[in-house]
Parts: sequence; structure tokens; C-alpha cells
Amino acid sequence: MKIGIEIHQRLATNKLFCGCSCEISEDAKHCAVMERRLHPVLSELGEADRASKAESSKERVFEYQVFRNNCLVEMDEEPPGPLNSDALKVALQAALQLNATPVNEVQVMRKTVIDGSNTSGFQRTSIVAMNGHVDTSKGAIKIPLIAIEEESAGIVSAGDPKATYRLDRLGIPLIEISTTPDIKDGAHLTEVAQKIGMILRTLPGVARGLGTIRQDVNISTEGGARVEIKGAQDLKMLPKYVETEEKRQLELVKLLAELRSRKALPVKRHEIDVTKAFHDTKAALIAAGLKAGAIVLAQKLPAHKGLLGKELQHGKRYGTELSDYAKLAGVKGMIHSDEGMEKYGITKDELAKVGRELAMGENDAFVLIVAPKAQAERAMGHVIDRANMDYVPQETRRANPDGTSSFMRPLPGRARLYPETDVPPITLTKEMLDSVERTESLEHKKEKLEKMLNKEMAGRILKSRHLHLFEKLVASGAEPMLVATTLEETVVSLRREGVEFPDLEKTLSDIFQEFGKGTFVKAAMPEVLKGMAKGARAEAVLKVYRLQRITGKELERIAEECGHDMKAIMQKFRLQVDPQEVSILLALKKKAKETRQN
Amino acid sequence: MVYSAALQEEFRKKGIKEGDRIRVAGEGGAFEGLMMPRPHHGDAGIIVLKLDNGYNIGIRPLSVALVSKSQKVTRGTEQDDDRKKGDIAILGCGGTIASRIEYETGAVYPSISPQELRATFPALERWPMHARQLFALFSEDLNVHHWRLLADEIEKEIKGGSDGVVVMHGTDTMAYTSAAISFMLQNLPIPVVFVGAQRSSDRPSSDNEINLLNSVFAATHDFGEVGVCMHADTNDDYCHIHRGTRVRKMHTSRRDAFKSINSQPLFAVDYRSKRFDPLSEYKKRSKEPLLARKNLNPNVGLVYTHPNIKPEFIAKLDIYDGVVLMATGLGQVPTNSMNDKTVHGILPQIKGLISSGIPVVISSQTIYGRVCMRVYSNGRLLMDAGAIGDGADWTPETAYAKLCWVLGQTKDMKKVGEMMMTDYAGEISVRSEACP
Repeated sequence: MKIGIEIHQRLATNKLFCGCSCEISEDAKHCAVMERRLHPVLSELGEADRASKAESSKERVFEYQVFRNNCLVEMDEEPPGPLNSDALKVALQAALQLNATPVNEVQVMRKTVIDGSNTSGFQRTSIVAMNGHVDTSKGAIKIPLIAIEEESAGIVSAGDPKATYRLDRLGIPLIEISTTPDIKDGAHLTEVAQKIGMILRTLPGVARGLGTIRQDVNISTEGGARVEIKGAQDLKMLPKYVETEEKRQLELVKLLAELRSRKALPVKRHEIDVTKAFHDTKAALIAAGLKAGAIVLAQKLPAHKGLLGKELQHGKRYGTELSDYAKLAGVKGMIHSDEGMEKYGITKDELAKVGRELAMGENDAFVLIVAPKAQAERAMGHVIDRANMDYVPQETRRANPDGTSSFMRPLPGRARLYPETDVPPITLTKEMLDSVERTESLEHKKEKLEKMLNKEMAGRILKSRHLHLFEKLVASGAEPMLVATTLEETVVSLRREGVEFPDLEKTLSDIFQEFGKGTFVKAAMPEVLKGMAKGARAEAVLKVYRLQRITGKELERIAEECGHDMKAIMQKFRLQVDPQEVSILLALKKKAKETRQN
Repeated sequence: MVYSAALQEEFRKKGIKEGDRIRVAGEGGAFEGLMMPRPHHGDAGIIVLKLDNGYNIGIRPLSVALVSKSQKVTRGTEQDDDRKKGDIAILGCGGTIASRIEYETGAVYPSISPQELRATFPALERWPMHARQLFALFSEDLNVHHWRLLADEIEKEIKGGSDGVVVMHGTDTMAYTSAAISFMLQNLPIPVVFVGAQRSSDRPSSDNEINLLNSVFAATHDFGEVGVCMHADTNDDYCHIHRGTRVRKMHTSRRDAFKSINSQPLFAVDYRSKRFDPLSEYKKRSKEPLLARKNLNPNVGLVYTHPNIKPEFIAKLDIYDGVVLMATGLGQVPTNSMNDKTVHGILPQIKGLISSGIPVVISSQTIYGRVCMRVYSNGRLLMDAGAIGDGADWTPETAYAKLCWVLGQTKDMKKVGEMMMTDYAGEISVRSEACP
């Protein structure tokens, strides 16, 4: 088995080919909507890419939601600007950390993508550096190329014939890092992904937070095929995807052997309209379809009995795989004869009618598709194409949260790339490369953090999205451990209570500056922060909420009032006194008393 | 190819040509791939290499070696279609809509053969059509010579029995050509529809397909005018057919760049839903015989007036046989009607042009609205000098094409003035409509 990984990391610069901001919010409302269609552009050889063909058979309309952070470039109404040099710089910094060699000239290419996720019908992508590697516990893993590319539009709904996308994220710069398929096993895969992810997070220009990094896993097995599993979010799940995919391919190989021994292939296309068999049906799914003008299309799969129900992954059968192909035509799925017909409400009588129409034999199976005629025929075509693959097909599959995967589309062939003539190439001169600061290596950073924090907290900060804020605050003189606990604990628990900080950096620089003056105590930190959430300065919050530190003569006075009882003082003035100062004061008082008594 | 002289010499010595498989050693290691042509930008000493994964990269070579020669098949010459009576004729003049990309190199050619046209737009099958390429040029390179050639070819199509003509044309100067053809061929018995694309035809999102299919669909209908078919808005939904003398390109890049100026488009069209809705008055296919008056005078200038414009510059316009001025506002130019010492008027020079038999025609920089030279004294002085155009709501480009045409018909100054102010092809309206 061969395993490789492709990592996509979003950057926090402006967009790659226009001046739009990359700050996006899930709650933002779009300000306009537009509708577009894409048509495959044939190359001179007349070959449309196989993934492109599968998409174009759907005759789709794409609706795009346009946001405030969009301009005519994302709408494909204006040529792109030059490649964002800030983004290029971050990509070069990543290349240096991954021991790769920058190319002499960056050439921007167009990669054909016609599923609607790019308004132009292609994604702009460029190789920035080559021949890198990352060191792991099981040896170095090669990184043959590091590219910079545009993020696609986000899918809102994938209906048929209309799919809706939002354009706010389109054009955000992504660094793409792909390894050779030399990763040893599932655990090693997690390690490689974690290591590359951590290296990326140490760079100042990368975006942090949910969805800003994505992993696509490439797996191929002996006797099987290369499959790409897209969109795995949880790194701990990666070994599970590897294990499931290996098993799925193994089961498919066994199933193919069985099909061969039964001489079941090829399946001849001969679909029959069996709508009549269901004219008075109680089967809800079929009845609803017929009412909406659909037909019931049936196809016999000779000598397939029992095989459609064969489980390939947990809860997913060979029938599911065929059904996923049917979905390429925009149908919701299909019904097959290895399923319990009761669950659909199909009666024995209806089943017998279908059987007669198809001239079913003892060992035959069938599939039914309920959809408008043209769509049902397209869907059935895809099912038969899949059924006739006497090999494990190369596919792009979606990672499901339970560790299984589902077919998305055929694996794109050798990517159709051609030059983006609207963007001039960028020569990476020596001066430009010299101006790219070499960022601190992950190892060095880790060592430094472990010196100023305990090992556990150092690990947390290294993985934190606030790593760079931590470094900034410490550099301005704040106490490292206090900064770390404030970022990783206080702020987190306040957020859970619903306290939000629109500008966390500004708030924290202010509060640590104030704390540095000694005007309040550590215990008051959460209260002061809470007060500042609405935008007030720390100094004002201290006054309004009476959180100023009590010290010196005033402390002596309240100590007197509380009868020099530590517990009583702390109970009453916890947020205003420094326990250390109180205990020193009390110790001094005690000593003075003892001296007096003596 | 614009590689450095040193690299060209190296290629020559080793017998390396574009498309050959080569091996390039650079500082970062050795790479194998296909040698690509050098784009005009960038460093001519860097080799552009297409790797096997499809990406291009640029490498500064330490050494280059030929691995194998290109297997490239040369394209056969392709034939134009024969004309068939009752067909729609598609005439190619170049431009974005008719350009194709060579995917290997990324080079774009403004040419498409009838065979390529059918392969690129399979949906054209639904209409009987024949196609041929007249010339393959970017529209900014077209001139009176090409207008004449195109008018001749359209006349041939009309006489040969074509049911409609579609002209694929670059968008930048399409409005000049469509206006010129409107004057050269009057009483059209069939529609003549210009069509272009704003977004390059090598992108799956190009507007070329919908524009082309709608233009052919429109050309099957009953109207006898020159139209321009382009996206009505940013959606890939329907197109507008604009009148050839009224249309103007109003945006550098948007799909809906073309607008009807001082008028409504002729039709809203959508071949998918078979929609063909008139939006304003239009001429039906003419029953009268075609009126072909194709003579043009190319020696006409179009000049934008501006603050600080030099009187000497206006005087030098006597190299032309006629001049269209894009004046400011309602139709003013600096004439110094206030007799202010600080002002340099150009009125004496305009008078000089007119008195030497060079007609001066006024249009407005505001694009929208009517020329009304009677309102301000600067305009009145211009009118008194004999400038033509008071009351015209034409676009500068239409005024320009019209003057080329009028000066191809007559040299008589009085006749020129009369013809310029006569509405031949819907270029001047009597009233500016209040309702959209």
C-alpha cells in the first residue's frame, strides 16, 4: 500500500489575484446573486478531462452569492491582478522550512475545474519550490512540490440542476504541499500531517482557525487503485481512513473475482421503463416521484445477485457505490434488488411485475432509478459504466466523519493545465529571495517555548492559533506563563460564557501593559478582561469596577480591619490584593507582635 | 519565441525546438519536460519547462540537453463551408470570440475554422449554417478597408440567399463596424447580427457560447437591421440585441459591457426558452431592394477636446477630409466667447477647417444625451462657424462612421451637412424618451 498526503493551508494575506480581504465570516449576508453556466473547453486533441466530462454531463446552472469582500475578479468580470507578493513570500518561507528549492521563475497556470467551484472554470496555481522534505520519526518524507493556488468558492447547496456557491472565500491564497507516497502507515500519516501543519503554523502569514487547513490523503493498494480521500478534518482519524480504504479495495478485488467467475461482466445496457408496474404504488418514494413526472427505469444486472448487498465499508455496500455514481446525474440515489423492498413499501406483486419485465433469472439482480426520463437515463448510464469497471476505479472520495468515504467524482486525469496568460510570470531574483526572512524552525521554536513555559503549556502554545500573539506579548515584556494561561484558559472560558473580543490583540496588549504597572492583581485578570470586552481601556475598567490593587498603607488598614486573618482578607478582597504581599505583611505583623511580647 | 540570444544559439546547436522534450539542469537540480515558448514578460534567460504533471516552471539553465523530438502533429488546412440557400452565414473577423488556445503552449490565435467552430459549440447543430473566416485580426487593428470587405461579403450572402448573417468580431471596435455596415447596407432583407465575447474563449466560463448561440437564433427572426448581440447582464441568462448605430462598449471587461445609448435595445433573446422579445420599434426584413452604398472615405479624424487643447493642434487637423469633435457637455469647445485674456480658444482654427472644405461634426463626451449647441454662447459660436450636429443624439463612434460614409458619397459641404443630419439607420432620434 502506498500513502501520500496533500495539505492545503490558507493564508491570512489579501487574496491571491486581487486586493480583496481574506477575512470571511460564516454569518455574513451576500449582497448580490448571479447565475452562470460552464462549458467544457475542448483541447486541440479533442480530449476533455475525464472529471470534466462527468461534471458537464449534468448540464448544471451555478448560482453565486456575491459578498462585500468580492470584486469583479472573483466574479470573473475582470482580469486578475498580479500574483500577491505577500502570499508568495509566505509560500517561500514555507518552502525554506520544508527544505525545498525555489524555482527561478513562477509561472501561473490554469487548472480546469468545471464543477462550478471557480467562476472562471479553472483554478490558478503555480509551483513555487521543488524537491523538499520533512524529517519524521520514520525517516525523511519527500515533498516534490510546493505550490500556491486560489481557494475555491464554498458550496452552499449542491442541487440539480442548480448548485449554489458563495464567493467570499474564492481567491484566498492556499499553499499546497504534497508528499511522495512513501508514508509508512496510518500512524505515520498522522505524524507527517501534524509535523507539516505545525511548521505551517509557525509562519506569520498563515490563517488560523477552523477550516483553514485541509488534508487530502492519497492511498493506493496492490491490485487496487489510487484513490484520493478529501476533506479529512481530524488528524487522529487519518489512520482510520487508511484502514477503511485498504479494506474497501480488498473487498472490491474479491468481489471482482467473484463477478469474473460468475461471468457477470460486461453488463449490456438495456434499461426498461417499468413505470406501469407502479401505477398504483404505495411506495412513498416512487409515488412522490411519479406524481412529479418521473419514470421508473429498471436495468438487469445479470448474475449479480447478492453482490450488490456485499458490505465494502461499515454500512456501505457495493450497491452504495453504484448509487453514488447515479448521483452524478443529480438523482438522489437508486434502489437495488439486494435491499429489503419492504423498507420502500414495494409489494411482492410490483416486484414480480418488474421481474417479468426484465426477464430476471435466478442469479440476477436489478436496479431502479426514479427520476424524469432524461435524467434517469443519464443516471442509469453512470450506473452501468460503474458496473462494467472490471477493476478498482481511481476516484476522488469524500471523507465521512465515521471513517468511511463516499465517491465524489472520478480522479482527475493528468491535470489539464495551461498557462494563465493574464498574469505575467514572476522571476525569483536573488534580492527577492534574500528579502524573504528565514523564519525560526519548528524545533528551535519548541526549544525556546519549553524554556519559558512548562513542557505541557509549551506544546499547547506551539499548536495554538494564538502562537504569534503570544510571541508578540512576551516580546513586549509580559510574563510568559501569565500570557499563556490568559490566552489558552482565561480567554477560552470567557468565550464560553459568551464574552467576545473583537480585537483580542489590542485588548491584551493594553491589559498586560496595565498589569506591568502593578495596578491590579492576577486574580482580577478575568474580571478586568470581561469589563474590557465592550471596548473599554483597562485603566477605566479598574476604576469603574473598583479592581485597583490595594497595597501599602491601605493594605495594612484592611488587614487591621480583618483582624490580621489571611482567610478573612482574601475572602473580602481576593480581586484586589496580592496574596504574597498579604502573607509577607501578616508575617511581619506576627513577628512584630512576637518581638513586642518578648 | 523571445529567448535570449545565448539561449537561442544553444537551442540551435543542440537542435532543440519548441515542444521538444529536454533536460535542464539548474541550481535546484535537473528537470525534464517539454520546452515551452518564452512569454513576452520576464527574464529571457530563463527556460519555461512543462513538467509531466502539467505545471510550467521557469529554470535558469546551467546546461540543456535534448531528450527527444516533439511528436506534434501539424494541423491540416481546413476548408471553408459551401454556402447553402436558407442557411445562417457565420462570418469570422477575429476577436476573442473566434480565438482558440493552443493548450500545449498557451498561445492564443484569433482564428477559428468552421470545423473548430462546430467542435467548440456543438449546440450550433440546431440551425442550418455555413461559416467562413474573412480575416483573423484583433478589432483594434481593423479599419475602413475591413469594413468594406465585410460589407461586400454580407452583400454576397444576401444575394446568395442566406437567411441571416452573424458576424464574429472583436468587441473593442465592434460599434464602429456595426455603425458603418448600417450605413453601407440599407433596406436589409435579412438580419445582420454582430457578436463578440468579453471573457476569453479558452475559459469554461466564457460568454462566447451564449452570445454566439443567441446571435444565430436572433438571425433566424424577422428583422431587417444591423444588430449587436451581447450579454444583457452578468448572468448567463439572456442577451440583448442592440441597434448597430446605437450601441457602445461601456466597460473594459464585464460581460454586459455593451449598452444601447439614448435608446432601448431592440430585443431580449434567449435561444433556450425561444424568447425573442422586442424592446423597442424595429424594422422588419425589407421587401424593398437592398440599398448598397459602400463607398467610404477613410480620411476622417475623431478628436477629444479637453482643457489646454492647443489651437495649433486643431489647425493641423487639415490632414483629414472631415473631423468629428467630442466636445464637452451640450456641445461646447473653448471658443473664448467672454474675450478673456487667459483663454486660448480654438474657434478660428475650426472656422479655418470648415472654410477650407473640411466638415466638422460635433458629438458629446457625456456619451448620453443630445447635442444642443444653441444653449451656451460657446456652442452658438461653434454652430455659427458651420459645425454640424446640433440636435443629434448620436454616439461619437456612430458620428465618426457616418462621416466616413457620407464623405464616401459626396464632397459637397452643404450635402454633407444635410446627409449627416438625416436619420438613415436609427442613429438620430427625434425625441429623447422619458420612460425606460
